[in-house]
Amino acid sequence: MTLTATRPIRPSEQESLPRPRRRQLHLQRKLTGVIVALIVIVQVYPLAWLFITSVRTEQDFAGGNPFALPTEITFDNYTRAFATGNLGLNILNSLIVTVGAIVVIVFLGMMGAYALQVLGFRFSRFVRALFLIGIIVPVQVALVPLFVDYAAVNLLDTYQSIIIPLAGFALPTSIYLFSSFYEYIPGEIYEAASLDGAGPYRIFGQITLPLSVNTMVTVAMVNSIFIWNDFIFANTFVLTDDLKTIPLGLQNYIGAMGKVDWTATFAAVCVSITPLLLVFLVLNKAMTYSLASGATKG
Amino acid sequence: MPMLPQRSRLSVLVFLLPPLALYGIAVLLPIFQSLFLSFFDWDGISPMLFVGFENYVRMFTGDTVFWIAFRNTLGYVVICLVLQLGGALIVASLLTLLRRGREVVKTLYILPAVISTVAIAFLFQRIYSLDPEGLINQVLEFIGLGNLQNAWLSDVSTVLAAVSVPEGWRFTGLYMLIIYAALLAVPAELEEAAKLDGASWWQTFWRIRFPYIRPVWITTTIIATTNALRGFDIPYLLTNGGPGQSSELLTTYMYKTAFTSTNYGYASTISVFVVVECLVAVGLIFLLLRRKADA
Repeated sequence: MTLTATRPIRPSEQESLPRPRRRQLHLQRKLTGVIVALIVIVQVYPLAWLFITSVRTEQDFAGGNPFALPTEITFDNYTRAFATGNLGLNILNSLIVTVGAIVVIVFLGMMGAYALQVLGFRFSRFVRALFLIGIIVPVQVALVPLFVDYAAVNLLDTYQSIIIPLAGFALPTSIYLFSSFYEYIPGEIYEAASLDGAGPYRIFGQITLPLSVNTMVTVAMVNSIFIWNDFIFANTFVLTDDLKTIPLGLQNYIGAMGKVDWTATFAAVCVSITPLLLVFLVLNKAMTYSLASGATKG
Repeated sequence: MPMLPQRSRLSVLVFLLPPLALYGIAVLLPIFQSLFLSFFDWDGISPMLFVGFENYVRMFTGDTVFWIAFRNTLGYVVICLVLQLGGALIVASLLTLLRRGREVVKTLYILPAVISTVAIAFLFQRIYSLDPEGLINQVLEFIGLGNLQNAWLSDVSTVLAAVSVPEGWRFTGLYMLIIYAALLAVPAELEEAAKLDGASWWQTFWRIRFPYIRPVWITTTIIATTNALRGFDIPYLLTNGGPGQSSELLTTYMYKTAFTSTNYGYASTISVFVVVECLVAVGLIFLLLRRKADA
């Protein structure tokens, strides 16, 4: 921390400083840049290593030093990755679960927020407190009861069995995000609509819903990451290969007796994280904003 | 403060019931069921046997694994918090000093948060391994510290840290973004005035900047703590709690009790404890950080 003993300076202020002091500040800023660069390299290196390894030959990987570039680039690992596992099916399952859960989270979140924030009712404070519990409580508490319940109603090993808890635990944050947006919709809009004879359903469909598009995108993006990557619910409630999502499918690469074809596994890992990484990089600004606001509102 | 003058009780129900029903089924009901099951001895097949507080007595007085897991959970939380919040605060502060490249740094820094825990577990299994030599051991060799090489995941003295670090690494970018946004909102005039009064950078930071971002800091601490307390995937996938119980967390212990030993009753007792622990942690954070703010 002592190395950070400098501060942002405004250009005007900088000009008025005597020369040696200015040089010192310049040096300090350079140093900060170098430190940040180093931290970023350490932070991102494991990922880069993952991608580089996925195009290495096995021999190269076994003997190589971790900083060397591959001697030759090969895509055999990817061929083996697709041959070993069932990546296509896994991706399809992940898509179904993610889209299903997101639709539920967005629409039920909107409805809940509309009831709590726009319509309002006597026990709304109590209901809000109820939803707060879901943010604090760890998801593991639901595993045994849901397993027992699903077994009783034959829901084990279905898409719904994963979607229900994923959506249920994400719902509070979704409701809070929509609520805090609805706070800023001026009451006059609703009053005017009411005077024109619009009831609560029409107002929801024609005013609130169209205005919510930005928040819908935020909610969808925050949750898509966590749902796409969910391991614990899928691992508990999915029993057959047919319904395995990507995180579960990846586990298949641990072969008999724990022997692992590492380069092929890393290729499979790359395939599994690339869709989300691409979406993330394309929607970078919106995504970073969504993540930050989603996390703080929760 | 209802915004709509004309609303029927029915319309409230139409909008409220579907979300409440889903939430009830997925979250509220399981909490009560766990509480209920925690008083029974049940393997899921034979009839349930009411045992009163026996599970609780066993957990607190007769189960050494539980206490090991509890201690490990605390260690796991501390390591995660130091990496995530400490790292986030340092990087966010450094970032405010940069003039160019802030966006690039932000994007790169948060990338690990996008990756699934299974992928991360694979990655770190290979980073830690000794035979074949993984990334860390190769680097140690490379810089001439070959004698420090270690099988990080099999050594009982390093394994807990080894399973905590990936979790810390994964989310530090997220918390950095939040804290960075808060730091940007600190009014420049305040800091300027402090500097004119001769305050050092360090003093300005702790007296002006930090108090200003305290509300965000409290929120971030709560999120990070509750997330760390529910940490499961990475330890479960990397070591499954081993070797022995040296990286067993309450969550992995609960999971194994439920789905390996099929002891639903006792697993629910541990679940109830984890819930209470989370509530207590959130309460404590509020108390501690709030009181400091008042002082």
